Amino acid sequence: MMLPYLIIVPLFGAFATPLVGLAGKKARELWAVLITALTLGVASELFYTVWKSGEIMVYTLGGKNPLGQGVGFPIRIVWEVDLLSALFALMVTLIAFVAVLYSTEYMRHDTGLEKYYTLVLVLEVGMLGIAITGDLFNFYVFLEIMSIASYALVAFRNDTWEGIEAGIKYMFTGSLASAFILLGIVLLYGQYGTLTMAYLAKMIAGNPTFTAKVALGLLAGGLLFKSGAVPVHMWLADAHPAAPSSISAMLSGLVIKIGGTYALARLAFSVFGMGISMKTVGWIIIFFACATLIVGNAMAIIQTDMKRLFAFSSVGQIGYILLGIGIGLAAYGSDVGDVALAGAIYHTVNHALMKALLFLVAGAVIHQLGTKNLNELSGIARRMPVTSFAFLVGAAAIIGLPPLNGFASKWLIYESSALFNPFLAAIAIIGTAFCTAAYIRVLFTFFGRPSERVVNATEPGKAMLVPMLILVLAIIIMGLFPWAISEKVMIPAAKTLENFSAYVTAVLGGV
Amino acid sequence: MNNVVLVNLPFVVVALLLAVGFYTIGFKRNLIKVVIGIEILEGAVNLFLIALGYVKGAYAPIYTMAPPQAENNMVLPTPQALTLTSIVIGVAVSALMLAFAVNIYRHYGTLDVTKVRRLRG
Repeated sequence: MMLPYLIIVPLFGAFATPLVGLAGKKARELWAVLITALTLGVASELFYTVWKSGEIMVYTLGGKNPLGQGVGFPIRIVWEVDLLSALFALMVTLIAFVAVLYSTEYMRHDTGLEKYYTLVLVLEVGMLGIAITGDLFNFYVFLEIMSIASYALVAFRNDTWEGIEAGIKYMFTGSLASAFILLGIVLLYGQYGTLTMAYLAKMIAGNPTFTAKVALGLLAGGLLFKSGAVPVHMWLADAHPAAPSSISAMLSGLVIKIGGTYALARLAFSVFGMGISMKTVGWIIIFFACATLIVGNAMAIIQTDMKRLFAFSSVGQIGYILLGIGIGLAAYGSDVGDVALAGAIYHTVNHALMKALLFLVAGAVIHQLGTKNLNELSGIARRMPVTSFAFLVGAAAIIGLPPLNGFASKWLIYESSALFNPFLAAIAIIGTAFCTAAYIRVLFTFFGRPSERVVNATEPGKAMLVPMLILVLAIIIMGLFPWAISEKVMIPAAKTLENFSAYVTAVLGGV
Repeated sequence: MNNVVLVNLPFVVVALLLAVGFYTIGFKRNLIKVVIGIEILEGAVNLFLIALGYVKGAYAPIYTMAPPQAENNMVLPTPQALTLTSIVIGVAVSALMLAFAVNIYRHYGTLDVTKVRRLRG
């Protein structure tokens, strides 16, 4: 059973980093790369095991059985890993590995790097914990670990006003959202007297009270904030550009999805699925999804700052994921719902890959040229062909051109939303039109006439190019077998998420 | 009637503290005061947790030297563990927020939140 090592390895790595850092710069970088690579190995093994067996893996902390002795309810913290959690754990470890490898060169000019690597590893621990946990308070603790690490990383360059201002905005609003989430969890505890998600699901199904609905409202509000849905997306557009680029890749690729949409889907399906009208919850999420789609993508067009453009584009893509989850809830039990949910899961993984790639490209441009203003960047393609190629692949994938991976996931979402309600499909298409416009604009900048600033630019070193090429390769490979991946991984993952009685029985046994 | 208010007094205080916290975050312009508002909010949630675990007339959940009548008559220990965790998280958050406030003052020369807005667009 490799599951505990998913937390043990990066946590040990994080705590040992300050000590290893005493041995020098090289040792510190090597240590961080080694630890993230090891975690990636553990996550791949875990994913393979769960995918092969098709069962839900349950791990009890400190005991063999989640149930207490002589009582019929769980008394310990359980970790519960189904296919969806394992898939997201794999995604987290892959992007974290790539980002750490990238930052060995990208962060070389900064100081305080032993703290940087410690925080990155802690961030990874928090995200992996959210993916695998089956206990509500444990979820809150991991969410806070993730959030605090990301507040600190956004403001890592505290000698710039930009980082500090973005960090303090993110932090104030983020801790407010965390307070909402904690309040929701406390309300559920006060009403039902348990914190295990599976047992709580059973209790809510047996006695759905008004308190449970209030708690769901508070939890959903907090989690929509963490995912950057539209009325509360402002922190994201500030935080992602201000962070170091390797961190933007992790924030945009992972944090908003694991701490936001994944947790929302997990709570809506696995915990509240049996006790609450899924149609209502689904339509509320669809409403936010449509607003997010339009506003995020439309705001991306008018940006002149490259990283800010990518950040708004992330908001827009979160809209697609929320749309898939919302339709999955509202059309629960039908084929349309299955397809929408599979599309949302697929798009989460795809967007993690391509947005990480785009932020790494932006980082390379900033690193080599010292500016991220699009008006000064024309004609990079002549001087930095590999970076520009990586950007081309990432942009084409995010728009959803057929040979790349973004096509299949967006197609699943378009198809299901058109079958569910044509009006929603129209909104999704409008969002994509805006998104295309935004990226075409950047593309023209990249391939235009070289400006004065660009003339002496060179490609970054290997440690920055290799991570980009890994992601390009992943995008192209995933783009070549879209339907096989969707049949073999994404649809089963959507089915395990929808099958909440299996989630409950995995912990409680045949109760 | 009086009894109902007294029994629910902790929850009334929680609601009041939440209101004060939200007011402070929403209407105060000094960064330090906003930090204080978030602290008040966290305090309210912690108080709520502890109040949920109270059993009337019960003893502290420690078995060492417990009087015989404390057997099967102790307050719930789980919310106390949860509160302890959330207090620690709250301290970490406020330490980081105050560090940010110091840095904001260094870069902007003011702690007024309405003036800390160079990022836009």
